Amino acid sequence: MALASVCGFDFKAGKSKLSLGFGEGFGGPSAVDALAASQSFTVPQGIDISQNLARFTDEKSDVKIHFDHGTTTLAFKFKDGVIVAVDSRATAGPYIASQTVKKVIEINPYLLGTMAGGAADCSFWERVLAQQCRVYELRNKTRISVAAASKLLANIVYDYKGMGLSMGTMIVGWDKRGPGLYYVDSDGERLDGSVFSVGSGSVYAYGVLDSGYKWDLAVDEAYDLGKRAIYHATHRDAYSGGVVNLYHMRETGWIKVSQTDVQELHFKYKAEKK
Amino acid sequence: MSILAYNGAAIIAMKGKDCVAIAADRRFGVQAQTVSMDFDKVFEMGPHLFVGLPGLATDVQTISQRLKFRLNLYELRENRRIKPQTFMSMVSNLLYERRFGPYFVEPVIAGLDSKTNQPYIASMDLIGCPMITDDFVVSGTCSEQMYGMCESLWEPDLSPDDLFETISQALMNAFDRDALSGWGGVVYIIEKDKVTKKLLKTRMD
Amino acid sequence: MTERYSFSLTTFSPSGKLVQIEYALAAVGAGAPSVGIKATNGVVLATEKKQKSVLYDEHSIHKVEPITKNIGIVYSGMGPDYRVLSRRARKLAEQYKRVYNEQIPTAQLVQRVAAVMQEFTQSGGVRPFGVSLLMAGWDEDEGKPYLYQCDPSGAYFAWKATAMGKNHVNGKTFLEKRYSESLELEDAVHTAILALKESFEGQMTEDNIEIGICNATGFRRLEPSEVKDYLASVS
Repeated sequence: MALASVCGFDFKAGKSKLSLGFGEGFGGPSAVDALAASQSFTVPQGIDISQNLARFTDEKSDVKIHFDHGTTTLAFKFKDGVIVAVDSRATAGPYIASQTVKKVIEINPYLLGTMAGGAADCSFWERVLAQQCRVYELRNKTRISVAAASKLLANIVYDYKGMGLSMGTMIVGWDKRGPGLYYVDSDGERLDGSVFSVGSGSVYAYGVLDSGYKWDLAVDEAYDLGKRAIYHATHRDAYSGGVVNLYHMRETGWIKVSQTDVQELHFKYKAEKK
Repeated sequence: MSILAYNGAAIIAMKGKDCVAIAADRRFGVQAQTVSMDFDKVFEMGPHLFVGLPGLATDVQTISQRLKFRLNLYELRENRRIKPQTFMSMVSNLLYERRFGPYFVEPVIAGLDSKTNQPYIASMDLIGCPMITDDFVVSGTCSEQMYGMCESLWEPDLSPDDLFETISQALMNAFDRDALSGWGGVVYIIEKDKVTKKLLKTRMD
Repeated sequence: MTERYSFSLTTFSPSGKLVQIEYALAAVGAGAPSVGIKATNGVVLATEKKQKSVLYDEHSIHKVEPITKNIGIVYSGMGPDYRVLSRRARKLAEQYKRVYNEQIPTAQLVQRVAAVMQEFTQSGGVRPFGVSLLMAGWDEDEGKPYLYQCDPSGAYFAWKATAMGKNHVNGKTFLEKRYSESLELEDAVHTAILALKESFEGQMTEDNIEIGICNATGFRRLEPSEVKDYLASVS
């Protein structure tokens, strides 16, 4: 009883209220679509999910479920494709839970997604996206466009709007239209652009990115710019750090360019300054 | 978020054989933003007496100045060097004077007795409750990590060189698991006739 | 003439004196004699305690008083003023202990008591104390004995040996002759008794003198029986 009251369940209104629904019962949003992407979630019935969840995710709440918000991720388009660079730190409050997180999600050989916000939300929904993209490919005998893929994700998270999903992601790919880069977040926003950075360290990354960015960047220069931007973000932002994971999206699909400890970069850049 | 963790800090003091050490990180940040990496949190209060002040940076500087003021008056009035124990009482008093509107610092004291050269370490909460130990004391935003490191690395009767190695490793590995502290370190090894200050090269993220 | 310039104790006389302070010193000079002697391993304080009537209960009131574990004092001059000062001295010592968690060094207590006495020479609505104090202490840190005198003006002096009160000039002359740097506490007690005896009128007994000693074990007032033993060995 105590736990139930902490969780906000009201037994006074009648005992049937707390029947846990599976699958079809699916409390809040309508099912995502015929691809059955959403699987099924166990939800308490007769309770407003978004309000109930707020009890735990609210800053002032006694019961705390804090999502990981600290991150720096970036991606930019240039003449030879798209560069994706991310840090690798995971924090729980001030505690550094991991320095070796993979924040680039390899959806398929032509699609990458980045992770910022809730790690579980990003990895789960981008796997769902991967599944849907594969089904699309089988049905249509052609690869899904980056625009379509990113919109699938945006539509999914929009269905769950207000229910506490936390994602800030960039969907990167290559399709018939060339290199593609979209920003999608859990508010349902979806933007097409050529330079994005997401996360608590993004302000620092943008500073470096904007001052060094040109469309005509050589491949090596682009790699260096990506690494530099992430390095400077990890240096100034307490919640970013670890290693820089660098990916390059090309016409033939993505390649993983490098994985570099930021400490190495720190002393390299320091030496260059002298 | 606690005001004590607004700027971030990590400080350890350790006893060795006829020596003590005090070590601190060098970050000055404002929540997530790292502003500088050469911030002093350890202050020399005498030839063999140091105090480390983790906490709210503005209070760190105010407290260090007010302590130095009281200490100078004491040493002039009494015409002698203060003992670490006496200094500890002085710090404790200063903090308790603000019992109902405290300074947000939790000091760490390390020193050798001015007469007997006995090692002395102590730490305190923000209203001056002292904790005097025979091995090590820690204070800052990653105290759990520092306790873990000290518990596993510290042993009795460490030589000055071993003490340096122990306290440095304890500090660095502790704050590498803390987002709010790090960005360089400083270690003071205090011996009878020598105080050595060393800067640590650490991760800068 | 003097009267014209003594309407306030904070007013200097044309000759540059504060006459109220001089009067206070006169009160001390007329008071019962006290002596203090510093030995190698301690300090002794001794004082005459003659009562006006045999009906007084001599052992219920003391002139030698402990202030801390290691510090004791005695006075020449006015008894009631002395009680005010001993009370303040104890409070000052405890305040020091509260702040530093350490016994107050003798020099510090002397300085602070002297500051109180000085304040009473410069404040409105008060008069100077009619007492001089002898303060004996043992400082644990250095393991050394101390002997200080504190006057109504707030002036203080460190002595090897001294006498105050009635006949203090004779007492000092006696001590100058008898003092030696290698004096030990036991001998110092004897010397102190002899110094008092210089000007003592009538028979000296354990009931009309008081002695306090201070060494590594702390400060204590001697019991009448102990005083009696010393008196027996002196005569």
